[in-house]
Amino acid sequence: MLYAFFYWSLGITSAKQPHFFAQLLLEAAQGFVLTHIMRGTISETKLLQKNLNNQIVGVAILLMAFSIIYSISNILIELGLHIESPSVAEYTFGNKVIRAAFGCFMWLTIWSLIYFTYHYIIRSRQEEVDKVRLQALVKELELKTIKAHINPHFIFNALNSIRALVDENPERARTAITELSNILRSSMTSDKVETVTLEKELNIVKDYLALEQIRFEERLQVQFHIDEDTLDQPVPPMMLQTLVENAIKHGISKTVAGGHIEIISDFKDNHHELIIRNTGHLNGSANEVGFGIGSTKNRLNLLYGSNASFEIKDISTTEVQAKVILPVQI
Amino acid sequence: MSRKAIIIDDERLARTELRKLLQEFPEIEIVDEAANVDEGIDKIDLHHPDLIFLDIQMPGKTGFDLLQEIDRAPHVIFTTAYDEFALKAFEVNALDYLLKPVEPRRLADAIHKFSEVIQKETTGTGEFINRDKLNDNDQVFVKDGERCWFVKLNEIRLFESVGNYAKVFFGPNKPLILKSLNALEERLDEKVFFRANRKHIINLRMIDKIESYFNGGLLVELKGGDKIEVSRRQTVKFKEMMSL
Repeated sequence: MLYAFFYWSLGITSAKQPHFFAQLLLEAAQGFVLTHIMRGTISETKLLQKNLNNQIVGVAILLMAFSIIYSISNILIELGLHIESPSVAEYTFGNKVIRAAFGCFMWLTIWSLIYFTYHYIIRSRQEEVDKVRLQALVKELELKTIKAHINPHFIFNALNSIRALVDENPERARTAITELSNILRSSMTSDKVETVTLEKELNIVKDYLALEQIRFEERLQVQFHIDEDTLDQPVPPMMLQTLVENAIKHGISKTVAGGHIEIISDFKDNHHELIIRNTGHLNGSANEVGFGIGSTKNRLNLLYGSNASFEIKDISTTEVQAKVILPVQI
Repeated sequence: MSRKAIIIDDERLARTELRKLLQEFPEIEIVDEAANVDEGIDKIDLHHPDLIFLDIQMPGKTGFDLLQEIDRAPHVIFTTAYDEFALKAFEVNALDYLLKPVEPRRLADAIHKFSEVIQKETTGTGEFINRDKLNDNDQVFVKDGERCWFVKLNEIRLFESVGNYAKVFFGPNKPLILKSLNALEERLDEKVFFRANRKHIINLRMIDKIESYFNGGLLVELKGGDKIEVSRRQTVKFKEMMSL
């Protein structure tokens, strides 16, 4: 159909030619048929899926071939139907073919460029959409695994210790079972809410540390320095818990004599500061800690943007400190 | 007759729990406990147990580290709460492991298996005869990257030195252990393991062919196809040993 339009606009200028409309009709019809055959050829040979160089070569060949086919058929039909323009009747057959082919080639090239550009735009848009969808899916799964965060090593060790306590200290065994059940429940529901109060989070941390103290006994010393006014501040669920677990996993459980862990929460410079200080050192376990640190930073970023921050570093040869800074909610 | 065992685990409650379960098995006598690898090695040297219950995740050095530091590995039943890597390694190599909390039934199976194996190995009195040298039935623990094995000495056909390490040839495997050939030579029975040249110790029982070689030396072909030169000096010793 584009053909008709182009020829029409061109034809206006040379309307004095006899057989004009017949020619126009013929050319439009031919153009229509030709472009459909071309489209067919392109999808048959899967030209669009070959690499760029092959595509260009392929298209060029296609265009030339079709131009020649077009011009030959055009001239023959015109001759046959006696609708040839008088101005061109004098040229030899070969000459006529080349002229017509050249003209056709130009139009076909333009048409092809439009066709291909259109397809590329559609395809890259689709790819963008797919990419974004894939990224969203990956993030979702990541978040699920971080939050639905049940540490099997800890669970089974805790159960083993509790079983031993049943005879040795039945009361302690009972409270330990309650503590474990609190932790499991909190692990399972942590992905339902955006934030919890510091008080709630601390309860879980206390239960967790109580259980770890059963295992480590005197090898784990725990201290809390919590400003009471910070207790109702919102914090991301299981974030403090993860950091405390890391402190135990990479710090205290790695030293034969054990160590201590201090948890501090207070207001500082209009921010809410959470600090975990523990025996241990960073350098060796940089890789394993990576996952927890990365996800902590991500969560803080998602929730608070640049208003929150997280850092972890050695503050002496035997101590590590992790600091979370959160905005204050009134 | 009872076998001596030691429990090695950094958690006191875990050790208590295992002791409690083992009361059901009078053939196993717990002679001692250890809370970390170094203590463990001391106790093993002191008591020479037939069996150890070994926790893998311990602070400082792990259970695997302990096994690599001792020469002769007693029978080992590993214990672990959850260790993905170890479980895979164990299943592949049929090493025995128990998951904590330990199920009495699984413990019974493991002890039963141990009893059968050790029955076949020891002499009538059930005592080790020669403490200093390792004998054929002794096993060594070998770990190479993610794979680990207990190998009986009589399965090893060749030791080859590679820098500070020794390559251990057994079956289709050639893992490395952190021991020098000289150190090995001291612990191995020289009637079975012969120092062929500076780089090789061969198991004399695994020789397939012997040929004369350059300079008064010998070329020995072992089962499995490895060809080892015996140096001239060692050839003299070799001929003395093997002659009637």
